[in-house]
Amino acid sequence: MIYSWKKIVKHGLPLLTITLLIEVFAGQILQGKQEALLLFPIFLISIPVINSVSGNIGSVLGARLASGLHVGYIQISLKDKEMHDNLFISILIGIITYFILAIVIYLIALFGNLLTEDIALIEFIAIIVLTGFLLICIVAFVSVFTAFISFKRGLDPDDIVAPVVTTVGDFMGIVFLFFILGIFGVGL
Amino acid sequence: MLAKVMVKQSLPLIIFCGIGAILAGSTFGAMKDLIREIPGLIVIIPAIIALRGNISTAFGSRIGSAYHLGIINADNLWNDELKENIKGSLFLSFFVSIIIGLLSYFTSFLLNVYPDPVKIILIVLIAGVISAIILTLMTIGIIYLVFKRGYDPDNVTGPALATFGDIITMLCIFGSAIFVEAIL
Repeated sequence: MIYSWKKIVKHGLPLLTITLLIEVFAGQILQGKQEALLLFPIFLISIPVINSVSGNIGSVLGARLASGLHVGYIQISLKDKEMHDNLFISILIGIITYFILAIVIYLIALFGNLLTEDIALIEFIAIIVLTGFLLICIVAFVSVFTAFISFKRGLDPDDIVAPVVTTVGDFMGIVFLFFILGIFGVGL
Repeated sequence: MLAKVMVKQSLPLIIFCGIGAILAGSTFGAMKDLIREIPGLIVIIPAIIALRGNISTAFGSRIGSAYHLGIINADNLWNDELKENIKGSLFLSFFVSIIIGLLSYFTSFLLNVYPDPVKIILIVLIAGVISAIILTLMTIGIIYLVFKRGYDPDNVTGPALATFGDIITMLCIFGSAIFVEAIL
C-alpha cells in the first residue's frame, strides 16, 4: 500500500497549521472591522470573490511557471521575457475578471436588498477593481518568487506555489480591501 | 499569440469560479445577524474556507496521481488506497478544525473580544467535519465519472472542488452556527 492515513495527517499538519494561523489573523481583521462590514453587507459578499479570483490566477500562473521551468523554456531570471508575458497577462485577466464580477455582485446586492447604505455602482466597481489590481500584482510577484525559489532548491513548485499564493492572497485581499475603503472613505 | 490563447483558455473558468464565490459570499452576507450574535464567528470563516480548499485539493491531486500510477481505476475504485486517503482527509479535517477553534479563541482573547470557546470550537468542528464528508463523497463521485469517460482527473478535480468547495463550506458554517446557537 502506498498511502497511509497517519502519513497524510503527519505531512499535512505543519503547513496547514501555519496557513491557518495566517488565515485566523485575516479573520481577526474582519472582526475588528465587523461593524463596517455589517453596515455594508455587499463587502461581505465580495470578500470570498476577491480571494477566490486572486487564488485562482496566482495558482494558474504558478502552474504555468512550474511547467516552463520543468521543460526549460523559462529561466530563473528576473529579465525572462516569457515570465514577464505571463505576469502581464495574469494582471490583465485579473482586472477584466474583477470588473465583470463587481457588476454581478452589485446587481445581486441590489435585487437581494443588501444595499442598506448608499453606494454607487461606479464607486463599487472602482473599489473592487483597485483592490483586485493591487492584490493580483502582489500575488503574481509572490507566485513568481515562490516558483523560482522552490525550483532552485530542487522542490516541485507545483506542490508549493498554490498553498502559498492562496494564503498570501486571502490575507492581503482583506488588507487591501480595507485600505481602498479607507481611501474612498466608505464605512469609516 | 500567447496572450490571446491564455486569456481565452483561463478567463472563462476563472469567471465561472468567481460566480461560485459570489454564491459563497451571498451566504456570508446572509449570516450578518448570526455574526453579530456570535462573537468570534467571523474570525473562523477565512480559515475554514482555506482548510477545506487545501485538504480537498490535496485529496483530489493524490487520487489523480494514484490513477496515473495505476493503483486506482474505474473498476477498482473502492480499494484500500482510497480508504486510507479518505481516512487521512477526515482525520486531518478533524484535528485542524480544533486547531482553528483554539487559535481563533486565543487570538480574540488577546484582542479583548471574548467568544464562548465551546461554541466556537463546536461550530468549526461540525462545519469542518460535515463539509469534509460532503466534499470527499463529491470528489469520489467526480473521479468516478472522470474515470468512466477516460479524462485526466488532474484537469478536472481542482477547479471543480475550488468552485463547489467554497459554497458547500459556507453553507456548512451557516448551518452549524444556527445549530450550535440553538442547542447551547
